[in-house]
Amino acid sequence: MYLIRLTLNNFGCIRVACNFVLLIKNNANLKQEIKKMENKKLTLALFSGCVDKLTAAGVILGGAAAEDMDVEIFVLLQAAFAFKKENAMINDRVAEITDKKDEFLASLKRLGTPHWTEAFKKAKELTNVKIHICGFAGKVWHGEKLEDFIDLADDICGIGEYMDSAENSDINLFI
Amino acid sequence: MIMTTEELKNLKADKVVDARGTACPGPLLAVKQSIADISSGGIMEILSTDEGTKRDIPRWAKKKGYDYLGDYEESGYFTIYLKK
Repeated sequence: MYLIRLTLNNFGCIRVACNFVLLIKNNANLKQEIKKMENKKLTLALFSGCVDKLTAAGVILGGAAAEDMDVEIFVLLQAAFAFKKENAMINDRVAEITDKKDEFLASLKRLGTPHWTEAFKKAKELTNVKIHICGFAGKVWHGEKLEDFIDLADDICGIGEYMDSAENSDINLFI
Repeated sequence: MIMTTEELKNLKADKVVDARGTACPGPLLAVKQSIADISSGGIMEILSTDEGTKRDIPRWAKKKGYDYLGDYEESGYFTIYLKK
């Protein structure tokens, strides 16, 4: 009798163990299925405050928007300068080939390239784009509050959010 | 299914997206914005002066599950077709 009960108990244990394994397996499949259904994600660490790099960022954002990607932009140091309300439209600094700045800016105009703020705005209209201003970067350029930055900015955040976002991204860029 | 230029010219488009004069990614975004205007099976004709568009549209269409039908260059611009 004791032996039979022991055997039954063992079967019970095996059944519980099997169910547990199935649960874990199904959970993994479920997670994979959910991941497939989710939009792909782009995280952009935007450091540059120069219009050449901001324009390039705008083009990439357009590509991400066309593909319905979720985008998180983290505005770091020099980019926070460009995002300040009083700077965004008049800042015409370029980061590269600086001796050809006039030619570059004239070409953008000739090609009908939208200002980077317009490209960012369009991407926000077409897909899920969140723009976070790094709190430290904001302070460097005397921007303490969200109202100090252009309306494209969604909030002020810390670097932890960037780490989380980058960790969970399909594409992670630093510009 | 890639069609010949003659076949493409005989297609009747349900929607024409004229993105001539805009640079990348302008044409692609114009297509994305207009795709909702046609129903499944509908044909979209895209006009673009941007060389990259004729490579972007087939890629984008494939990802979205639409059919790229082909393109041709004439009068200084590209005419690209896709089927929703």
